[in-house]
Amino acid sequence: MTAISAMQKWLALEHEAVWLYPLVGARFAEVITLSRRTREAHLVTRDELLERLQEAGADPVVPALAYDVGPLTNVAEARIAVRHVETRIAAACLTLVGEASGELRDFATSSLRRAALDELAWGGPPRAFPGLP
Amino acid sequence: MTSRRALLGTGAGALAVAGAVVVGEATHRLDDAARAIGIKPRPRPAVSDDALIARVAQDQNLVLVAIESTSARHPELTGKLAPFAEIGQEHVTAVGGSSTVPTDDTVDADPARAVKALAQTLSTTSAARAKDAGMAVSPDLARVLSSMSAGLAQGARAVGTLV
Repeated sequence: MTAISAMQKWLALEHEAVWLYPLVGARFAEVITLSRRTREAHLVTRDELLERLQEAGADPVVPALAYDVGPLTNVAEARIAVRHVETRIAAACLTLVGEASGELRDFATSSLRRAALDELAWGGPPRAFPGLP
Repeated sequence: MTSRRALLGTGAGALAVAGAVVVGEATHRLDDAARAIGIKPRPRPAVSDDALIARVAQDQNLVLVAIESTSARHPELTGKLAPFAEIGQEHVTAVGGSSTVPTDDTVDADPARAVKALAQTLSTTSAARAKDAGMAVSPDLARVLSSMSAGLAQGARAVGTLV
């Protein structure tokens, strides 16, 4: 895998996160503030990835119309769905860390940290090695 | 056998950690560390990262000391701190550190202040590991350190809410 393909995989997940958080926030009032705040961060990351890919001459992946995130009938299910996407984002960031160097690696590391903190904020347990299975 | 508690008391604890890493250098500990957390190491020379691993091992050992010492000073927090002690031990193991831990007698007597200090230690160490990840030559070591940084950040956030 190259840094470009790692960024594409990550971008696809950011598209999913940007789609998921408003859905969760709209359905469950108790997490609306957290949903909004988390989505804002993902919007920034998505845009940064788009810019980096375009600057690299790549054609960024586009979002899907919808995503299969499992049932969202209560807030517990919503938390699971959110953690699932954050866990996959953390894994994608970690892949990029190994493929990149310099500032791009730093970007991946700081984003991995943010994904790990989001996992925690949405009810996940602390882990020794976020981003790893 | 001399315990690590006794070693620290004589100032030899750091030497013991360094010794563990020196052994690690001879056996390509980096590859072992990568395998220990599920990364398949690549056939790249690891020698240039050995000094970094040695420093990280010492640093992570101090983090584990801080967690265990806070727990020992405030037994009412032992249960809540147990998951973080386990994570701290996993970090130490990944970089070839020791499995036994000395104690630090300077933990604050006030539990809230002690917990705040521990959270700060974890946060500072998280930032250090992120910086280290940027310096690593080996992609696998970069991943180990980057992931470690994220785990420490989670620990800092979670520990900060314990009291």
